[in-house]
Amino acid sequence: MQTTAAIEVNNLVKVYTRKNQPPVRAVDGLSFTVQRGEIFGLLGPNGAGKTTTIKILTTLLAPTEGTARVSGCDVVRDPLGVRKQICVVVQENALELHLSVRNNFRVFGRFHGLSAHEIQLRMGRICELFSLTEFLNAKGMDLSGGLKRRVQVAKTFLIDKPVVFLDEATTGMDSINKRATIQAIKEETRKGRTIVLTTHILDEAEVLCDRVAIMNHGKLITLGSIHEVKGAGLRLLSLTLTVREATPSLLETIRSFQPVSVEIRNSVIEVIMRDEEETLRLLAAARKQKGFLHFEITSASLEDVFLQLIDHQTGSN
Amino acid sequence: MREIVAVVYREYLIQTTSLMWIFFELAVPLLYLLMFGVAFDRALGQGLMVENQSLGYNSFFLAGVLAMTCFGNALNQSYGFFVDRDNGILYEFLTYPMRRSEFLLGKVLFQCGMTVLQSVLTVGFSVLLLGVSVPWSAALFIVITMIAGTAGWFFFLSIFAFTIKRNDIYNTVINVIYFLLMFLSSVFYPLDRVPGWLRSLSLLNPLTWHTDLLRFETVGVGTLSVVMLEAGAFVVFSVLAFWLAVRKLQQTG
Repeated sequence: MQTTAAIEVNNLVKVYTRKNQPPVRAVDGLSFTVQRGEIFGLLGPNGAGKTTTIKILTTLLAPTEGTARVSGCDVVRDPLGVRKQICVVVQENALELHLSVRNNFRVFGRFHGLSAHEIQLRMGRICELFSLTEFLNAKGMDLSGGLKRRVQVAKTFLIDKPVVFLDEATTGMDSINKRATIQAIKEETRKGRTIVLTTHILDEAEVLCDRVAIMNHGKLITLGSIHEVKGAGLRLLSLTLTVREATPSLLETIRSFQPVSVEIRNSVIEVIMRDEEETLRLLAAARKQKGFLHFEITSASLEDVFLQLIDHQTGSN
Repeated sequence: MREIVAVVYREYLIQTTSLMWIFFELAVPLLYLLMFGVAFDRALGQGLMVENQSLGYNSFFLAGVLAMTCFGNALNQSYGFFVDRDNGILYEFLTYPMRRSEFLLGKVLFQCGMTVLQSVLTVGFSVLLLGVSVPWSAALFIVITMIAGTAGWFFFLSIFAFTIKRNDIYNTVINVIYFLLMFLSSVFYPLDRVPGWLRSLSLLNPLTWHTDLLRFETVGVGTLSVVMLEAGAFVVFSVLAFWLAVRKLQQTG
């Protein structure tokens, strides 16, 4: 069993400098490790530094400070070594618009050292997996945005590189294709591939990732398994109350407990709470109200935790 | 080498999607010769005296057309970076397992193939229809100079394509550069009778070096020692441009 990490990032810094503008620290002292065969999610709001981090790890950008290694190769000293170990879905839609889907696969395969025969064999399997068979002869320019993205993601499964970077890979896909993509990603990790993905769709990260790192303003806020991140310090709980009517008195009672957030959908009120005891006290108070029907307590979703962590960090900044 | 072949394969697939484009690529140098060359040839009547040698304008202009063909091909290919950038594919390419230099070499290799085809057609047309006398023994040298010229100009223009982010600005800048390079060179007229300042500037112009070399090969005008010096200078210019283009591409991300 291999124990070496697939990716090692140490104190990574990227500063963008532009004429007549103050420098921007897009990545600010980032450190993390991704183990082989892991699905690792890099999460954060827009401008958090996720894409810059991916760009450094895929040798598109040079870091200002710090080191990063992919499959043991340093991104600055041995960029070609890194590129031999990776395949990447970049954030931009990247497709040869004048070429057919078939030729897009052929070109991609050739660049990654596959023979024409191997490309042909693998293309069939991949097209079936991503429901692309009927579009093989269509030109890139004639595909919808979601289909373009699907081809782009499908290409990366044509080859067997040990580390895959997916930057907002499912953006623009419909739910059926998103599910197929998620399934394909899971299957690939079973073969021992390491996958690093960025997404702002947190449900997706929750389903897919073994571990996640949450970033904001270029800094790491938290890192761990989904379970660990959800429980990290904040221990958020979701209390769902079903009532006949969300009366002003009930809402006032809820607000008196200073919840993290309250969402009302007709007769269902979802309250995110920070503390277990407070949650139980709120439940007890709510049950005394007229029209109370039902309740459910679950741990808060990754999205709730994420929002809370970002708020918390922004506040402390 | 596999990587360079992959880039050539990709260029081939893209360019052959438009036969119209290939037709115009091949026809433009011929049109230049036919319209511009023939018209000037008639207008000048008895031709030109270049370095004590009497020449018809078509014979003189052939080298200029060939040099412009290299520049035009290089320009088209460098413009492709903007298309690739707009399609997002440029950034994906840069994550493929190849060196930046291999990417540039692959791009230019395909275009050199087109250049060779164009030179065969253009020189053939000049010899057969316009009566220009080109020695067969020069054929290989002409092809080599055309390939070197296309590569050198492509690397030079790539520096601008990687530095300038907007294609409209790139177009404007390159139009100005092209204008200056063309008219401060020996492409259209011999330099021995132009004003001193223009001649001095023209002698510093890589397009002059490239054109003079082609003119020496096609119609034998020039002195071997001077032409060899110009050839050396053009090689240095191309190597420098290649190095700078690779550096600029490394900074693209």
